[in-house]
Amino acid sequence: MSDNRWSFPDLGLGIGLRTTHYAHILSQEPEVGFFEILTENYLDTGGRPLHILDRISERYPVVMHGVSMSIGSTDPIDLDYLAKVKALAERTGALWVSDHICWTGILGRNTHDLLPLPYTEQSLRHAVARIRTVQEFLEGPLVLENPSTYLEFADSDMKEWEFVARLAEEADCGLLFDVNNVYVSAYNHGYDPVTYIDAIPGDRVCQYHLAGHTNKGSHIIDTHSDHVLDPVWELYGHTLRTVGLRATLLEWDAEIPAFEVVHQEVLKADEWRRQEVARAA
Amino acid sequence: MPHDAPNPRPELDRLQRWMQEVIVHPGTIAQAIASPGAEREIPSEKLAEVVLPSHSLSPAERVGVYHGMYLMRMEEALAADYPVIRHFLGDKTFNDLVREYVQSHPSRSYTLNRLGDHLPRFFADRTEWPQAEFLRDLARLELAMTEAFDEQEFSVLGGEELAAVPPEHWEHARLRPIAALRLLPLKYSVVPHLEAYHRDRPSPTPRRRATWIVVYRRDYSVLRLELSRAEHDLLRTLIDGVPLGEALAAAADQKSARKQDRVFRWFKTWIAEGFFTGVDVSSPAV
Repeated sequence: MSDNRWSFPDLGLGIGLRTTHYAHILSQEPEVGFFEILTENYLDTGGRPLHILDRISERYPVVMHGVSMSIGSTDPIDLDYLAKVKALAERTGALWVSDHICWTGILGRNTHDLLPLPYTEQSLRHAVARIRTVQEFLEGPLVLENPSTYLEFADSDMKEWEFVARLAEEADCGLLFDVNNVYVSAYNHGYDPVTYIDAIPGDRVCQYHLAGHTNKGSHIIDTHSDHVLDPVWELYGHTLRTVGLRATLLEWDAEIPAFEVVHQEVLKADEWRRQEVARAA
Repeated sequence: MPHDAPNPRPELDRLQRWMQEVIVHPGTIAQAIASPGAEREIPSEKLAEVVLPSHSLSPAERVGVYHGMYLMRMEEALAADYPVIRHFLGDKTFNDLVREYVQSHPSRSYTLNRLGDHLPRFFADRTEWPQAEFLRDLARLELAMTEAFDEQEFSVLGGEELAAVPPEHWEHARLRPIAALRLLPLKYSVVPHLEAYHRDRPSPTPRRRATWIVVYRRDYSVLRLELSRAEHDLLRTLIDGVPLGEALAAAADQKSARKQDRVFRWFKTWIAEGFFTGVDVSSPAV
Protein backbone atom coordinates (compact mmCIF):
# COMPACT_ATOMS: atom_id res chain seq x y z
CA MET A 1 0.00 0.00 0.00
CA SER A 2 1.42 3.36 -1.01
CA ASP A 3 0.68 6.83 -2.23
CA ASN A 4 0.28 7.49 -5.94
CA ARG A 5 3.46 8.49 -7.73
CA TRP A 6 2.29 12.01 -8.52
CA SER A 7 1.28 12.68 -4.91
CA PHE A 8 -2.20 13.66 -6.02
CA PRO A 9 -3.98 14.32 -2.74
CA ASP A 10 -6.51 12.00 -1.17
CA LEU A 11 -9.42 14.42 -1.41
CA GLY A 12 -11.69 12.24 0.69
CA LEU A 13 -15.19 11.63 -0.58
CA GLY A 14 -16.57 13.36 -3.64
CA ILE A 15 -19.69 13.54 -5.75
CA GLY A 16 -20.21 13.87 -9.48
CA LEU A 17 -21.50 17.38 -10.14
CA ARG A 18 -24.95 17.25 -11.77
CA THR A 19 -27.23 20.10 -12.83
CA THR A 20 -30.10 18.92 -10.64
CA HIS A 21 -27.95 19.58 -7.57
CA TYR A 22 -26.66 23.05 -8.49
CA ALA A 23 -29.13 24.98 -6.37
CA HIS A 24 -28.61 22.79 -3.31
CA ILE A 25 -24.82 22.99 -3.51
CA LEU A 26 -24.76 26.76 -3.90
CA SER A 27 -27.31 27.45 -1.18
CA GLN A 28 -26.31 24.80 1.37
CA GLU A 29 -22.58 24.53 0.72
CA PRO A 30 -22.49 20.88 1.86
CA GLU A 31 -19.29 19.40 3.24
CA VAL A 32 -17.97 17.45 0.27
CA GLY A 33 -14.34 16.54 -0.30
CA PHE A 34 -14.43 17.37 -4.00
CA PHE A 35 -16.62 17.50 -7.08
CA GLU A 36 -15.95 15.69 -10.32
CA ILE A 37 -17.26 17.39 -13.44
CA LEU A 38 -18.18 15.79 -16.74
CA THR A 39 -15.65 17.58 -18.92
CA GLU A 40 -17.68 17.78 -22.14
CA ASN A 41 -20.62 19.47 -20.40
CA TYR A 42 -18.53 22.60 -19.86
CA LEU A 43 -16.40 22.86 -22.99
CA ASP A 44 -18.72 24.77 -25.31
CA THR A 45 -20.90 26.76 -23.00
CA GLY A 46 -20.60 30.30 -21.81
CA GLY A 47 -23.89 30.19 -19.99
CA ARG A 48 -25.25 29.07 -16.67
CA PRO A 49 -23.32 25.76 -16.39
CA LEU A 50 -19.96 27.50 -16.67
CA HIS A 51 -21.08 30.29 -14.33
CA ILE A 52 -22.10 27.72 -11.70
CA LEU A 53 -18.89 25.77 -12.22
CA ASP A 54 -16.84 28.90 -11.62
CA ARG A 55 -18.61 29.41 -8.30
CA ILE A 56 -18.23 25.79 -7.26
CA SER A 57 -14.57 25.59 -8.23
CA GLU A 58 -13.93 28.62 -6.02
CA ARG A 59 -15.21 26.70 -2.98
CA TYR A 60 -14.37 23.05 -3.66
CA PRO A 61 -11.55 21.03 -5.20
CA VAL A 62 -12.54 19.94 -8.71
CA VAL A 63 -11.37 17.07 -10.89
CA MET A 64 -12.32 16.57 -14.54
CA HIS A 65 -13.73 13.39 -16.02
CA GLY A 66 -14.22 13.10 -19.78
CA VAL A 67 -15.98 10.63 -22.03
CA SER A 68 -14.83 11.66 -25.51
CA MET A 69 -11.03 11.50 -25.59
CA SER A 70 -11.37 8.15 -27.40
CA ILE A 71 -7.84 7.19 -26.47
CA GLY A 72 -8.09 3.79 -28.16
CA SER A 73 -9.59 4.98 -31.46
CA THR A 74 -7.65 4.67 -34.71
CA ASP A 75 -8.89 8.14 -35.70
CA PRO A 76 -6.42 11.01 -35.26
CA ILE A 77 -6.32 12.65 -31.84
CA ASP A 78 -8.60 15.70 -31.76
CA LEU A 79 -6.23 18.49 -30.76
CA ASP A 80 -8.95 21.14 -30.73
CA TYR A 81 -10.79 19.08 -28.15
CA LEU A 82 -7.62 18.64 -26.10
CA ALA A 83 -6.97 22.39 -26.20
CA LYS A 84 -10.43 23.01 -24.74
CA VAL A 85 -9.88 20.36 -22.08
CA LYS A 86 -6.60 21.99 -21.11
CA ALA A 87 -8.18 25.44 -20.98
CA LEU A 88 -11.02 24.18 -18.78
CA ALA A 89 -8.53 22.49 -16.44
CA GLU A 90 -6.70 25.78 -16.07
CA ARG A 91 -9.93 27.70 -15.51
CA THR A 92 -11.22 25.36 -12.81
CA GLY A 93 -7.87 24.53 -11.25
CA ALA A 94 -8.71 20.86 -11.75
CA LEU A 95 -6.35 18.66 -9.79
CA TRP A 96 -6.32 16.03 -12.52
CA VAL A 97 -7.94 15.16 -15.84
CA SER A 98 -9.35 11.71 -16.45
CA ASP A 99 -11.04 9.75 -19.23
CA HIS A 100 -11.52 6.08 -20.10
CA ILE A 101 -9.58 3.15 -21.54
CA CYS A 102 -11.82 2.79 -24.56
CA TRP A 103 -12.69 4.19 -27.94
CA THR A 104 -15.89 6.09 -28.69
CA GLY A 105 -15.98 6.29 -32.48
CA ILE A 106 -14.12 6.15 -35.76
CA LEU A 107 -14.21 7.87 -39.16
CA GLY A 108 -15.15 11.14 -37.48
CA ARG A 109 -18.24 9.78 -35.76
CA ASN A 110 -18.87 9.60 -32.05
CA THR A 111 -21.15 6.88 -30.68
CA HIS A 112 -20.85 8.44 -27.21
CA ASP A 113 -20.31 5.01 -25.73
CA LEU A 114 -17.23 3.63 -24.01
CA LEU A 115 -16.44 0.87 -26.48
CA PRO A 116 -14.08 -1.96 -25.55
CA LEU A 117 -10.63 -2.53 -26.98
CA PRO A 118 -9.25 -5.96 -27.81
CA TYR A 119 -6.50 -6.63 -25.27
CA THR A 120 -3.78 -7.20 -27.83
CA GLU A 121 -0.19 -6.04 -28.18
CA GLN A 122 -1.31 -3.91 -31.12
CA SER A 123 -4.00 -2.14 -29.06
CA LEU A 124 -1.55 -1.64 -26.24
CA ARG A 125 1.11 -0.05 -28.45
CA HIS A 126 -1.51 2.12 -30.10
CA ALA A 127 -3.04 3.37 -26.84
CA VAL A 128 0.33 3.91 -25.14
CA ALA A 129 1.55 6.11 -28.00
CA ARG A 130 -1.62 8.19 -27.92
CA ILE A 131 -1.59 8.57 -24.14
CA ARG A 132 1.97 9.88 -24.33
CA THR A 133 0.92 12.40 -26.98
CA VAL A 134 -2.00 13.57 -24.86
CA GLN A 135 0.16 13.87 -21.76
CA GLU A 136 2.68 15.99 -23.63
CA PHE A 137 -0.13 18.22 -24.82
CA LEU A 138 -1.73 18.52 -21.39
CA GLU A 139 1.68 18.86 -19.74
CA GLY A 140 0.69 16.46 -17.02
CA PRO A 141 -0.39 12.91 -16.37
CA LEU A 142 -3.60 11.64 -17.89
CA VAL A 143 -5.67 9.50 -15.54
CA LEU A 144 -7.61 6.66 -17.21
CA GLU A 145 -10.53 4.61 -15.97
CA ASN A 146 -11.23 0.95 -16.54
CA PRO A 147 -14.67 0.89 -18.21
CA SER A 148 -17.50 -1.59 -17.78
CA THR A 149 -17.54 -3.92 -20.77
CA TYR A 150 -20.19 -6.19 -22.22
CA LEU A 151 -18.19 -8.27 -24.67
CA GLU A 152 -14.76 -9.85 -25.03
CA PHE A 153 -12.80 -10.12 -28.25
CA ALA A 154 -11.55 -13.55 -29.20
CA ASP A 155 -8.12 -12.37 -30.25
CA SER A 156 -7.17 -10.71 -26.95
CA ASP A 157 -3.64 -11.69 -25.98
CA MET A 158 -4.01 -10.87 -22.30
CA LYS A 159 -6.54 -10.37 -19.52
CA GLU A 160 -8.03 -6.94 -18.97
CA TRP A 161 -6.11 -6.38 -15.72
CA GLU A 162 -2.83 -7.22 -17.46
CA PHE A 163 -3.69 -4.76 -20.23
CA VAL A 164 -4.60 -2.01 -17.75
CA ALA A 165 -1.46 -2.54 -15.66
CA ARG A 166 0.85 -2.57 -18.67
CA LEU A 167 -0.90 0.42 -20.20
CA ALA A 168 -0.37 2.47 -17.06
CA GLU A 169 3.28 1.46 -16.73
CA GLU A 170 4.25 1.80 -20.39
CA ALA A 171 2.41 5.07 -20.97
CA ASP A 172 3.38 6.39 -17.52
CA CYS A 173 -0.21 7.47 -16.86
CA GLY A 174 -2.50 7.40 -13.84
CA LEU A 175 -5.46 5.15 -13.19
CA LEU A 176 -8.95 5.98 -12.05
CA PHE A 177 -9.94 2.64 -10.61
CA ASP A 178 -13.69 2.06 -10.91
CA VAL A 179 -14.57 -0.65 -8.44
CA ASN A 180 -18.12 -1.01 -9.72
CA ASN A 181 -16.85 -1.47 -13.26
CA VAL A 182 -14.61 -4.29 -12.12
CA TYR A 183 -17.63 -5.97 -10.53
CA VAL A 184 -19.75 -5.44 -13.66
CA SER A 185 -17.12 -6.71 -16.09
CA ALA A 186 -16.23 -9.65 -13.84
CA TYR A 187 -19.90 -10.69 -13.79
CA ASN A 188 -20.28 -10.24 -17.54
CA HIS A 189 -17.11 -12.10 -18.42
CA GLY A 190 -17.03 -14.63 -15.59
CA TYR A 191 -13.76 -13.83 -13.88
CA ASP A 192 -12.73 -13.17 -10.28
CA PRO A 193 -12.78 -9.41 -9.51
CA VAL A 194 -10.26 -9.87 -6.70
CA THR A 195 -7.70 -11.18 -9.19
CA TYR A 196 -8.23 -7.97 -11.17
CA ILE A 197 -7.80 -5.71 -8.13
CA ASP A 198 -4.70 -7.53 -6.95
CA ALA A 199 -3.03 -7.00 -10.33
CA ILE A 200 -3.44 -3.23 -10.38
CA PRO A 201 -0.26 -1.17 -9.73
CA GLY A 202 -1.32 0.81 -6.67
CA ASP A 203 1.09 3.65 -7.20
CA ARG A 204 -0.69 4.47 -10.47
CA VAL A 205 -4.11 4.77 -8.87
CA CYS A 206 -5.16 8.38 -8.29
CA GLN A 207 -8.89 8.03 -7.68
CA TYR A 208 -11.68 5.51 -7.15
CA HIS A 209 -15.18 5.43 -8.59
CA LEU A 210 -18.21 3.83 -7.00
CA ALA A 211 -21.67 3.53 -8.55
CA GLY A 212 -24.83 1.49 -8.72
CA HIS A 213 -25.65 -0.85 -11.59
CA THR A 214 -28.56 -2.79 -13.07
CA ASN A 215 -28.48 -6.57 -13.11
CA LYS A 216 -30.40 -7.91 -16.12
CA GLY A 217 -29.80 -11.52 -15.09
CA SER A 218 -27.87 -12.45 -18.21
CA HIS A 219 -25.57 -9.48 -17.79
CA ILE A 220 -25.06 -6.29 -15.76
CA ILE A 221 -25.32 -2.79 -17.19
CA ASP A 222 -23.34 0.03 -15.60
CA THR A 223 -26.29 2.40 -15.27
CA HIS A 224 -25.17 4.62 -12.36
CA SER A 225 -28.84 4.65 -11.39
CA ASP A 226 -28.92 3.22 -7.89
CA HIS A 227 -27.19 2.70 -4.56
CA VAL A 228 -23.86 0.90 -4.45
CA LEU A 229 -24.46 -2.79 -3.91
CA ASP A 230 -22.91 -4.72 -1.02
CA PRO A 231 -20.54 -6.86 -3.14
CA VAL A 232 -19.13 -3.64 -4.63
CA TRP A 233 -18.59 -2.20 -1.15
CA GLU A 234 -16.73 -5.41 -0.24
CA LEU A 235 -14.52 -4.98 -3.31
CA TYR A 236 -13.94 -1.34 -2.35
CA GLY A 237 -12.73 -2.51 1.05
CA HIS A 238 -10.39 -4.99 -0.59
CA THR A 239 -9.10 -2.28 -2.93
CA LEU A 240 -8.37 0.02 0.02
CA ARG A 241 -6.37 -2.76 1.64
CA THR A 242 -4.32 -3.53 -1.48
CA VAL A 243 -3.97 -0.08 -3.06
CA GLY A 244 -4.59 2.38 -0.23
CA LEU A 245 -6.71 5.43 0.49
CA ARG A 246 -7.53 7.54 -2.55
CA ALA A 247 -10.05 10.23 -3.45
CA THR A 248 -13.31 8.32 -3.80
CA LEU A 249 -16.19 9.48 -5.93
CA LEU A 250 -19.79 8.32 -6.22
CA GLU A 251 -21.37 8.52 -9.70
CA TRP A 252 -25.17 8.77 -9.96
CA ASP A 253 -26.26 9.69 -13.48
CA ALA A 254 -29.74 8.29 -14.04
CA GLU A 255 -32.85 8.65 -11.89
CA ILE A 256 -30.78 11.07 -9.85
CA PRO A 257 -32.21 11.52 -6.35
CA ALA A 258 -31.94 14.53 -4.04
CA PHE A 259 -28.43 15.67 -3.20
CA GLU A 260 -28.73 14.40 0.38
CA VAL A 261 -29.39 10.85 -0.86
CA VAL A 262 -26.30 10.88 -3.07
CA HIS A 263 -24.27 12.48 -0.30
CA GLN A 264 -25.35 9.87 2.27
CA GLU A 265 -24.44 7.13 -0.18
CA VAL A 266 -20.87 8.31 -0.65
CA LEU A 267 -20.47 8.87 3.08
CA LYS A 268 -20.85 5.10 3.52
CA ALA A 269 -17.34 4.90 2.09
CA ASP A 270 -16.09 6.69 5.20
CA GLU A 271 -16.58 3.62 7.36
CA TRP A 272 -14.53 1.51 4.93
CA ARG A 273 -11.84 4.16 4.91
CA ARG A 274 -11.79 4.31 8.73
CA GLN A 275 -11.42 0.54 8.92
CA GLU A 276 -8.46 0.71 6.58
CA VAL A 277 -6.82 3.51 8.58
CA ALA A 278 -7.29 1.45 11.79
CA ARG A 279 -5.93 -1.68 10.14
CA ALA A 280 -2.89 0.11 8.78
CA ALA A 281 -2.11 1.83 12.10
CA MET B 1 -3.75 -12.64 -48.33
CA PRO B 2 -4.90 -9.57 -50.33
CA HIS B 3 -4.95 -6.36 -48.32
CA ASP B 4 -8.72 -5.92 -48.48
CA ALA B 5 -9.72 -9.53 -47.85
CA PRO B 6 -11.84 -9.99 -44.72
CA ASN B 7 -9.57 -11.13 -41.90
CA PRO B 8 -11.05 -13.40 -39.22
CA ARG B 9 -8.57 -11.86 -36.71
CA PRO B 10 -8.93 -8.26 -37.76
CA GLU B 11 -6.55 -5.43 -37.18
CA LEU B 12 -7.69 -2.73 -34.76
CA ASP B 13 -8.99 -0.28 -37.34
CA ARG B 14 -11.01 -2.94 -39.15
CA LEU B 15 -12.45 -4.18 -35.87
CA GLN B 16 -13.46 -0.63 -34.93
CA ARG B 17 -15.03 0.07 -38.33
CA TRP B 18 -17.02 -3.16 -38.03
CA MET B 19 -18.19 -2.53 -34.50
CA GLN B 20 -19.30 1.01 -35.27
CA GLU B 21 -21.18 -0.15 -38.37
CA VAL B 22 -23.05 -2.67 -36.25
CA ILE B 23 -23.76 -0.36 -33.31
CA VAL B 24 -25.19 2.53 -35.32
CA HIS B 25 -27.30 0.37 -37.66
CA PRO B 26 -31.00 1.28 -37.28
CA GLY B 27 -32.33 -2.27 -37.60
CA THR B 28 -32.19 -5.29 -35.31
CA ILE B 29 -28.84 -6.63 -34.16
CA ALA B 30 -29.15 -9.52 -36.65
CA GLN B 31 -29.77 -7.04 -39.48
CA ALA B 32 -26.89 -4.90 -38.23
CA ILE B 33 -24.39 -7.76 -38.23
CA ALA B 34 -25.53 -8.84 -41.71
CA SER B 35 -25.60 -5.29 -43.13
CA PRO B 36 -23.36 -4.57 -46.14
CA GLY B 37 -21.27 -2.10 -44.12
CA ALA B 38 -20.57 -4.66 -41.39
CA GLU B 39 -20.10 -7.58 -43.82
CA ARG B 40 -17.49 -5.53 -45.68
CA GLU B 41 -15.35 -5.50 -42.54
CA ILE B 42 -16.12 -8.85 -40.94
CA PRO B 43 -18.36 -11.50 -42.55
CA SER B 44 -21.27 -12.35 -40.29
CA GLU B 45 -20.40 -16.06 -40.30
CA LYS B 46 -17.05 -15.15 -38.69
CA LEU B 47 -18.67 -13.39 -35.72
CA ALA B 48 -17.89 -16.19 -33.26
CA GLU B 49 -14.22 -15.95 -34.24
CA VAL B 50 -14.19 -12.28 -33.28
CA VAL B 51 -16.46 -11.99 -30.22
CA LEU B 52 -16.57 -14.60 -27.47
CA PRO B 53 -19.86 -15.82 -25.99
CA SER B 54 -20.45 -15.31 -22.26
CA HIS B 55 -22.00 -17.71 -19.76
CA SER B 56 -25.41 -16.40 -20.80
CA LEU B 57 -25.14 -14.38 -24.01
CA SER B 58 -24.19 -15.28 -27.58
CA PRO B 59 -21.64 -13.13 -29.43
CA ALA B 60 -24.48 -11.39 -31.29
CA GLU B 61 -26.34 -10.68 -28.06
CA ARG B 62 -23.20 -9.21 -26.50
CA VAL B 63 -22.67 -6.80 -29.41
CA GLY B 64 -26.41 -6.18 -29.21
CA VAL B 65 -25.98 -4.66 -25.74
CA TYR B 66 -23.97 -1.81 -27.32
CA HIS B 67 -26.31 -1.65 -30.32
CA GLY B 68 -29.37 -1.21 -28.07
CA MET B 69 -27.75 1.42 -25.90
CA TYR B 70 -26.73 3.58 -28.90
CA LEU B 71 -30.23 4.54 -29.93
CA MET B 72 -31.34 4.98 -26.32
CA ARG B 73 -28.53 7.47 -25.83
CA MET B 74 -29.44 9.36 -28.98
CA GLU B 75 -33.12 9.46 -27.96
CA GLU B 76 -32.20 10.76 -24.54
CA ALA B 77 -29.95 13.49 -25.96
CA LEU B 78 -32.48 14.71 -28.53
CA ALA B 79 -35.34 14.54 -26.04
CA ALA B 80 -33.36 16.86 -23.76
CA ASP B 81 -32.99 19.43 -26.55
CA TYR B 82 -36.41 19.00 -28.18
CA PRO B 83 -38.90 18.26 -25.39
CA VAL B 84 -41.71 20.17 -27.14
CA ILE B 85 -41.35 18.19 -30.37
CA ARG B 86 -41.32 14.99 -28.34
CA HIS B 87 -44.45 16.12 -26.51
CA PHE B 88 -46.14 16.87 -29.84
CA LEU B 89 -45.11 13.64 -31.57
CA GLY B 90 -45.40 11.22 -28.66
CA ASP B 91 -42.65 8.81 -27.59
CA LYS B 92 -42.99 6.26 -30.39
CA THR B 93 -43.00 8.72 -33.28
CA PHE B 94 -40.26 10.74 -31.62
CA ASN B 95 -38.09 7.64 -31.33
CA ASP B 96 -38.77 6.85 -35.01
CA LEU B 97 -37.67 10.40 -35.78
CA VAL B 98 -34.43 9.95 -33.79
CA ARG B 99 -33.69 6.66 -35.57
CA GLU B 100 -34.05 8.36 -38.97
CA TYR B 101 -32.32 11.59 -37.93
CA VAL B 102 -29.13 10.03 -36.59
CA GLN B 103 -28.71 8.05 -39.79
CA SER B 104 -28.37 11.28 -41.76
CA HIS B 105 -26.90 13.46 -39.00
CA PRO B 106 -24.81 11.27 -36.66
CA SER B 107 -22.83 12.89 -33.89
CA ARG B 108 -19.45 14.12 -35.07
CA SER B 109 -18.69 16.09 -31.95
CA TYR B 110 -17.21 15.32 -28.56
CA THR B 111 -20.46 16.56 -27.05
CA LEU B 112 -24.03 15.35 -27.44
CA ASN B 113 -25.21 18.90 -26.84
CA ARG B 114 -24.84 19.65 -30.54
CA LEU B 115 -26.46 16.44 -31.83
CA GLY B 116 -29.72 18.21 -32.65
CA ASP B 117 -28.25 21.17 -34.52
CA HIS B 118 -29.44 19.84 -37.88
CA LEU B 119 -33.04 19.04 -36.95
CA PRO B 120 -34.56 22.16 -38.61
CA ARG B 121 -32.61 21.29 -41.77
CA PHE B 122 -33.76 17.67 -41.47
CA PHE B 123 -37.43 18.72 -41.54
CA ALA B 124 -36.74 21.12 -44.40
CA ASP B 125 -35.28 18.22 -46.40
CA ARG B 126 -37.83 15.60 -45.33
CA THR B 127 -41.04 17.13 -46.61
CA GLU B 128 -42.61 13.66 -46.53
CA TRP B 129 -42.66 13.84 -42.72
CA PRO B 130 -46.22 14.70 -41.58
CA GLN B 131 -46.36 18.37 -40.56
CA ALA B 132 -42.73 18.84 -41.64
CA GLU B 133 -43.07 22.59 -42.16
CA PHE B 134 -44.58 23.09 -38.71
CA LEU B 135 -41.99 20.78 -37.11
CA ARG B 136 -39.22 22.77 -38.77
CA ASP B 137 -40.48 25.94 -37.12
CA LEU B 138 -40.83 24.22 -33.76
CA ALA B 139 -37.31 22.81 -34.12
CA ARG B 140 -35.97 26.27 -34.96
CA LEU B 141 -37.50 27.64 -31.76
CA GLU B 142 -36.12 24.84 -29.57
CA LEU B 143 -32.70 25.03 -31.21
CA ALA B 144 -32.61 28.78 -30.66
CA MET B 145 -33.32 28.17 -26.98
CA THR B 146 -30.46 25.68 -26.55
CA GLU B 147 -28.11 27.96 -28.48
CA ALA B 148 -29.04 30.94 -26.32
CA PHE B 149 -28.49 28.78 -23.23
CA ASP B 150 -24.90 27.98 -24.23
CA GLU B 151 -23.75 31.26 -25.78
CA GLN B 152 -21.00 33.36 -24.26
CA GLU B 153 -22.00 35.78 -21.54
CA PHE B 154 -21.66 39.50 -22.24
CA SER B 155 -22.26 42.57 -20.14
CA VAL B 156 -25.47 44.32 -21.08
CA LEU B 157 -25.74 47.80 -22.52
CA GLY B 158 -27.43 50.02 -19.95
CA GLY B 159 -29.52 53.13 -20.30
CA GLU B 160 -26.71 55.27 -18.85
CA GLU B 161 -24.25 54.15 -21.51
CA LEU B 162 -26.79 54.94 -24.19
CA ALA B 163 -27.50 58.34 -22.68
CA ALA B 164 -23.78 59.07 -22.78
CA VAL B 165 -23.71 58.84 -26.57
CA PRO B 166 -23.43 62.41 -27.91
CA PRO B 167 -26.51 63.38 -29.98
CA GLU B 168 -24.40 64.13 -33.04
CA HIS B 169 -23.20 60.49 -33.07
CA TRP B 170 -26.64 58.89 -32.89
CA GLU B 171 -27.26 58.74 -36.58
CA HIS B 172 -24.20 56.63 -37.29
CA ALA B 173 -24.15 54.63 -34.06
CA ARG B 174 -24.51 50.84 -34.34
CA LEU B 175 -25.75 48.54 -31.60
CA ARG B 176 -23.93 45.31 -30.86
CA PRO B 177 -26.30 42.46 -29.89
CA ILE B 178 -25.49 39.96 -27.16
CA ALA B 179 -24.42 36.55 -28.47
CA ALA B 180 -27.41 34.86 -26.83
CA LEU B 181 -29.99 36.51 -29.07
CA ARG B 182 -31.91 34.72 -31.83
CA LEU B 183 -34.55 36.30 -34.02
CA LEU B 184 -37.01 33.91 -35.62
CA PRO B 185 -39.51 34.67 -38.35
CA LEU B 186 -41.81 31.63 -38.40
CA LYS B 187 -44.68 30.47 -40.61
CA TYR B 188 -46.49 28.69 -37.79
CA SER B 189 -47.73 29.66 -34.38
CA VAL B 190 -45.50 27.52 -32.14
CA VAL B 191 -45.76 29.21 -28.74
CA PRO B 192 -49.02 27.38 -27.86
CA HIS B 193 -47.12 24.10 -28.24
CA LEU B 194 -44.38 25.31 -25.92
CA GLU B 195 -46.99 26.30 -23.35
CA ALA B 196 -48.84 22.99 -23.73
CA TYR B 197 -45.61 21.16 -22.97
CA HIS B 198 -44.85 23.27 -19.90
CA ARG B 199 -48.41 22.80 -18.58
CA ASP B 200 -48.42 19.10 -19.45
CA ARG B 201 -51.47 19.51 -21.67
CA PRO B 202 -52.11 17.96 -25.08
CA SER B 203 -50.46 19.81 -27.94
CA PRO B 204 -52.92 21.83 -30.05
CA THR B 205 -53.35 21.25 -33.77
CA PRO B 206 -50.69 23.21 -35.66
CA ARG B 207 -51.96 26.49 -37.07
CA ARG B 208 -50.31 28.34 -39.90
CA ARG B 209 -49.85 31.94 -38.81
CA ALA B 210 -46.85 34.19 -39.40
CA THR B 211 -45.10 34.67 -36.06
CA TRP B 212 -42.00 36.59 -35.02
CA ILE B 213 -40.14 35.58 -31.89
CA VAL B 214 -36.96 36.78 -30.24
CA VAL B 215 -35.17 34.29 -27.97
CA TYR B 216 -32.58 35.70 -25.59
CA ARG B 217 -30.81 35.10 -22.31
CA ARG B 218 -30.90 37.37 -19.32
CA ASP B 219 -29.29 36.55 -15.96
CA TYR B 220 -28.55 33.04 -17.29
CA SER B 221 -32.22 32.34 -18.00
CA VAL B 222 -33.48 31.79 -21.57
CA LEU B 223 -36.50 33.97 -22.33
CA ARG B 224 -38.62 34.78 -25.37
CA LEU B 225 -40.83 37.59 -26.62
CA GLU B 226 -43.33 37.57 -29.44
CA LEU B 227 -42.87 40.52 -31.76
CA SER B 228 -44.92 42.25 -34.41
CA ARG B 229 -43.68 42.15 -37.98
CA ALA B 230 -42.54 45.77 -37.71
CA GLU B 231 -40.70 45.13 -34.45
CA HIS B 232 -38.98 42.13 -35.97
CA ASP B 233 -37.90 44.08 -39.04
CA LEU B 234 -36.38 46.91 -37.01
CA LEU B 235 -34.64 44.55 -34.61
CA ARG B 236 -33.29 42.57 -37.58
CA THR B 237 -31.74 45.68 -39.12
CA LEU B 238 -30.16 46.65 -35.81
CA ILE B 239 -28.76 43.15 -35.27
CA ASP B 240 -27.36 43.28 -38.80
CA GLY B 241 -25.41 46.40 -37.86
CA VAL B 242 -27.40 49.00 -39.75
CA PRO B 243 -26.71 52.48 -38.26
CA LEU B 244 -29.41 53.72 -35.91
CA GLY B 245 -30.33 56.69 -38.06
CA GLU B 246 -31.00 54.56 -41.11
CA ALA B 247 -32.81 51.82 -39.17
CA LEU B 248 -35.06 54.20 -37.27
CA ALA B 249 -35.88 56.25 -40.34
CA ALA B 250 -37.16 53.11 -42.01
CA ALA B 251 -39.21 52.07 -38.99
CA ALA B 252 -40.72 55.32 -37.79
CA ASP B 253 -42.30 57.92 -39.96
CA GLN B 254 -40.72 61.18 -38.81
CA LYS B 255 -44.06 62.94 -39.24
CA SER B 256 -46.02 60.45 -37.11
CA ALA B 257 -45.63 61.00 -33.38
CA ARG B 258 -47.60 57.81 -32.76
CA LYS B 259 -45.17 55.69 -34.77
CA GLN B 260 -42.20 57.40 -33.12
CA ASP B 261 -43.66 56.61 -29.69
CA ARG B 262 -44.12 53.00 -30.71
CA VAL B 263 -40.50 52.65 -31.80
CA PHE B 264 -39.38 54.37 -28.60
CA ARG B 265 -41.34 51.82 -26.53
CA TRP B 266 -39.83 48.91 -28.42
CA PHE B 267 -36.38 50.34 -27.97
CA LYS B 268 -36.93 50.82 -24.26
CA THR B 269 -38.05 47.20 -23.90
CA TRP B 270 -35.08 45.83 -25.84
CA ILE B 271 -32.61 47.80 -23.74
CA ALA B 272 -34.37 46.75 -20.52
CA GLU B 273 -34.34 43.10 -21.61
CA GLY B 274 -30.62 43.29 -22.36
CA PHE B 275 -30.61 42.58 -26.10
CA PHE B 276 -27.47 44.65 -26.68
CA THR B 277 -24.00 44.58 -25.23
CA GLY B 278 -22.59 47.82 -26.59
CA VAL B 279 -22.86 50.72 -28.96
CA ASP B 280 -20.24 51.69 -31.53
CA VAL B 281 -20.21 55.42 -32.09
CA SER B 282 -17.47 55.65 -34.68
CA SER B 283 -18.48 57.23 -37.98
CA PRO B 284 -19.06 54.82 -40.86
CA ALA B 285 -16.21 54.24 -43.27
CA VAL B 286 -16.45 56.44 -46.34
